[in-house]
Amino acid sequence: MGNYLAKRLLLIIPTLLGVAAVVFVIMRVIPGDVALLILGGDQAGHIDKAQLAAMHHQLGLDQPLLTQFGVWLWGVAHFDFGTSLWTGRPVIEELVGRLPLSLELAILATIVSVLLAIPFGVLAAARRDTWIDYLIRVVSIGGLAIPSFWVGILIILLLVIYFGWGPPLEYTPPWIDPWANFQQMVWPVVTVGYRYAAVTTRMTRSTLLEVLGDDYIRTAWAKGLRERAVVVRHALRNAMLPVITLIGTEFAFFFGGPVVTETVFTLNGVGRFVVDAVAHRDYPVVQALVFLIAFGFVIVNLVIDLTYAWLDPRIRYR
Amino acid sequence: MAVHYPLVHTATAPLAPPITWGDEISNFIRRKPLGAAGALIISVMLFVALFAPRLAPYDPYTPDYGAQFQRPSAAHWFGTDEFGRDVLSRIMYGARIALFVGFVASFVGCTLGALLGVVSAYAGGKVDLCLERLMDILLAFPLLILALAIASILGPAVQNVVVAISIPIIPRAARVVRASALSVKENRYVEAAGSLGASGRRVVLQHIVPNVMAPYIIIVTAQLGSAILTEAALSYLGLGTAEPTPSWGLMLSGSASAYAEKAPWIALFPGMAISLAVFGFNLFGDSLRDALDPRLRRKG
Amino acid sequence: MTRPIRRHRTMLAVVLLAVLGAAALPSISSAAQALDTPRRGGVLLAVIGADPPSLDPHQESTFANIELVAPLYSTLLQLDPYHYPKIIGDVATDWKIAADGLTYTFKLRPGIHFHDGSTLTSADVKASYDKIIFPPAGVRSVRKNAYTAVERVEAPDPGTVIFKLKFPSASLLDNLASPWNVIFPKKYLDKDPNYFKTNVMGSGPFKFKNYTRGSTFEGERNPDYFVKDRPYLDGYKFFISPETSVRAAAIRSGRAYIEFRNLPSAEVEAIRKQLGDKIVVQETPMTGQWGIAVNNTAKPFNDVRVRKALTLGIDRYTMSKVLYPLTGLKYVGALMRPGSDWAMPTPELEKLPGFGRDMEKNRAEARKLLAEAGYPNGLKVVLKNRNVKLPYQDFAVFLIQEWRKIGVEVEHRPLETAAWFSDGQDTGNFELIVAPAVEFMDEPDQFLGRYATGSTQNWGRFSDPRVDDLFSRQARTLDPGERKRLINEMEKLVLENAYYMPGLWWSRNLVHWAKVKNYVAPPNHYTNQKLQDVWLSED
Repeated sequence: MGNYLAKRLLLIIPTLLGVAAVVFVIMRVIPGDVALLILGGDQAGHIDKAQLAAMHHQLGLDQPLLTQFGVWLWGVAHFDFGTSLWTGRPVIEELVGRLPLSLELAILATIVSVLLAIPFGVLAAARRDTWIDYLIRVVSIGGLAIPSFWVGILIILLLVIYFGWGPPLEYTPPWIDPWANFQQMVWPVVTVGYRYAAVTTRMTRSTLLEVLGDDYIRTAWAKGLRERAVVVRHALRNAMLPVITLIGTEFAFFFGGPVVTETVFTLNGVGRFVVDAVAHRDYPVVQALVFLIAFGFVIVNLVIDLTYAWLDPRIRYR
Repeated sequence: MAVHYPLVHTATAPLAPPITWGDEISNFIRRKPLGAAGALIISVMLFVALFAPRLAPYDPYTPDYGAQFQRPSAAHWFGTDEFGRDVLSRIMYGARIALFVGFVASFVGCTLGALLGVVSAYAGGKVDLCLERLMDILLAFPLLILALAIASILGPAVQNVVVAISIPIIPRAARVVRASALSVKENRYVEAAGSLGASGRRVVLQHIVPNVMAPYIIIVTAQLGSAILTEAALSYLGLGTAEPTPSWGLMLSGSASAYAEKAPWIALFPGMAISLAVFGFNLFGDSLRDALDPRLRRKG
Repeated sequence: MTRPIRRHRTMLAVVLLAVLGAAALPSISSAAQALDTPRRGGVLLAVIGADPPSLDPHQESTFANIELVAPLYSTLLQLDPYHYPKIIGDVATDWKIAADGLTYTFKLRPGIHFHDGSTLTSADVKASYDKIIFPPAGVRSVRKNAYTAVERVEAPDPGTVIFKLKFPSASLLDNLASPWNVIFPKKYLDKDPNYFKTNVMGSGPFKFKNYTRGSTFEGERNPDYFVKDRPYLDGYKFFISPETSVRAAAIRSGRAYIEFRNLPSAEVEAIRKQLGDKIVVQETPMTGQWGIAVNNTAKPFNDVRVRKALTLGIDRYTMSKVLYPLTGLKYVGALMRPGSDWAMPTPELEKLPGFGRDMEKNRAEARKLLAEAGYPNGLKVVLKNRNVKLPYQDFAVFLIQEWRKIGVEVEHRPLETAAWFSDGQDTGNFELIVAPAVEFMDEPDQFLGRYATGSTQNWGRFSDPRVDDLFSRQARTLDPGERKRLINEMEKLVLENAYYMPGLWWSRNLVHWAKVKNYVAPPNHYTNQKLQDVWLSED
């Protein structure tokens, strides 16, 4: 077990380095000069070459790429993700300010989806090919198919047009003012949660079906166990692993932020911030964020893999 | 002396009645109604997309300033938009873009990914390790962010969107196909073939490829819907197709909600179209998967 | 300030205001609400569409900066909010211009304090203007070129500031009234001229309270403000949201009371229908126009016939009818705003290519010109644009359709702001590109500077010495009649040669709840943002 763990940990490093490098390169390749943007504002302004050069120097953009990359990596090793080129404030500060909202959205959506998905997934699998199964499948495919930003737009419109109601415009953490928080978060959570629930329901259903086809389940049936015992106690437990994997990875991806949902619902979250940063060519922010998401993703994967390995000895010795 | 044996002409022996196409289809519908519904939706969309220039009542690009914001009526089944353009025609042409992007991005991405997956699985060792790392790296990016960044590099245009969407698909396909190819490779049957002297290429082509076809098809259909949605999201954010191209996502962007009270059909129909398309692909893809996945075939 | 004193002050203020109000009634022409007695208190809630890149107005030119920080600062001069384009003092009380036009002397009001308690003197004014006109290395000053006439700024005593000019400038006084030229305390500028990009220290009616990027910006009342009994509000709070429909929904649901920039007519209609007379819509023409820059250095646009054909092909009058309800682009005019003092008279305008009323004739001529230039079967061009819906995209959709009618096929390429800006201004990498021209007042130097050779705002990179000559002459002509003649001549040259193709001038809808009193919408969203006279009739 220890060997396996060590091997996996070692493999993380090149992955993370690779992610860092890819982000770095992509950001530099996109046309558009952040210095020009900063100097020019969002309309045509007066810029002279000397000012532009000075700004480049100030932002450290005139150094060779490899140096810039090295400097950044060194900073990351010290948890210093640099300063935003656009706002001049440390990237960490910018991210930390937005994290509570994204985290809350992620956690609430996950809870909602798990509460819906597991029971419905089980039901659909247990009643395969009946109208219950069809209904659940149709509704969950709907969650995947309907664009979440469209749902968001429609919700806001309906609320405004028929009730003259709009959500609060700034984030208040739930421990300060739970009602305001609820008002702001309920619709985004519903929108994102529906989609999340849909994916998880389908996954639950299909893994459960696979497991239900296995030999040991046949044995359980043959033994005369009741349906609930078979399905819930035996099959479900084994089916949970891939489902938990899915929940974990989807959760990790939340820090990419449900970008479009955040835009539609005016949430000052991490996702919108990244899109903004790409638009402004704010390299440190994009690099930091993508790196952190990748890091989270990798860690989640590692934990899941370790869990698998712990549960299934065959994997350790591969 | 020749003996006459009464010959039973096999040609006249009672046979089971031949299975016609009609029977196949009604079997399919009976057994997998959802899949059949999905197939129907896809067929209709394909038909509309292919024959849009013939079917569309108006040119989707030409504005008609006398007819802005018309309600749905006999003249304009889906109404007109802020420039007086017929929404139905734009939806029809939009199908071309959605399906084009969906099919091409998904096929290209999945095929490239599948190739990488097979190579990785078969070659093993260092090659496998390297490719796996590369795929991990690409996978670590949230799909939309990666597509967004690539679209920013290339600029808004249909072909760029296709590229931007197919790149994140590659690692997802590679992963699935590799897992499948690995399981085949470790199959004793294949080992036996190898020890009998079958060449590498023969092993790959004759054993591995047929066995990864099922997951390949599954993931192609799975990614189709996702590709269509990503294109819509990119266009909505302004990084996908550009005006005046009638892409569904673009039709939903910003101003659709600005006019939603005055002319709700502008925002309604494109959203419905996107949902329907992705819905159809997923329904069909699901049933396909059920049919192709050996473990699930038991009960059905 | 403790409560009891405030109550007394309230009574005094009411009495004072009643007297002043009665005396001033005739002069408050456009502010009908001022007849009510202002109520003190309340926080003004507003929505805004973007975050500012920095908090220093000297270095920015976006509404996202000025709307947020203007209430925190004072300027030397300002535009009279009720009598555009009259200029009144803010920090300055009166001024004298020498007979030769080379010396401007300003007297400053005594007793002005920055929010940290220090006194504002001429040294601060001089330091701020030195930063604007002669920025140190590494500090940018966006409007530096408007002050090329200034040789130096002097502060002989704490209450006097003198501007010495190299040559007489007709626009200097207007340019000094720019809302962007805020007065910073010298001691902070001495330590770090970029200090105010991320910090605030002003002398305005409000003090800085809090800024959460991407979310909110707040200011609170300055009890020591040098204008007695102002401001009325306890504070102001901006909510930042880039989605137009979200901002409109915020106004509709009452989560915000005012949007200072513009809301599209469709939203405005819907809001009006729902809220009736709880809402006030002020429609004002904007000092801004949207047009197309042509790359004069590239084939085939270096051929004046091609350029003329393109501008002839645009039916600006229909464009106005069609685009106005969608985008607010409305007025047909030349390079100075129609309806302003500098506007070109309509009969002259209609003689210029692209402004004639007979579109049949215009299109025929366009096709003829294209054929002459070697394109009898039409032309394929690329139009680059900014990736923002209003009004950029809708503007382009109309243009594309118009040009189709004269055989020009357009490929539309919207770019993100960064790339659009880079291609347009920095590298000139375009054939045609949508390029707006927006300034804070109808100031010829500001609007026309972009047509001079070598100006960074001259995206089309054309050079015509006659235009340059007319521009520098009008900058020095003090007689308005003669100046206008020179300006019109310059416009004619630019438009006849189609160096740049103006589109339409903007009209904006400023929407606010009726309870927001005493706010008069100026012809752009940069001025009248101090909020010192605004009050809320209820919370």
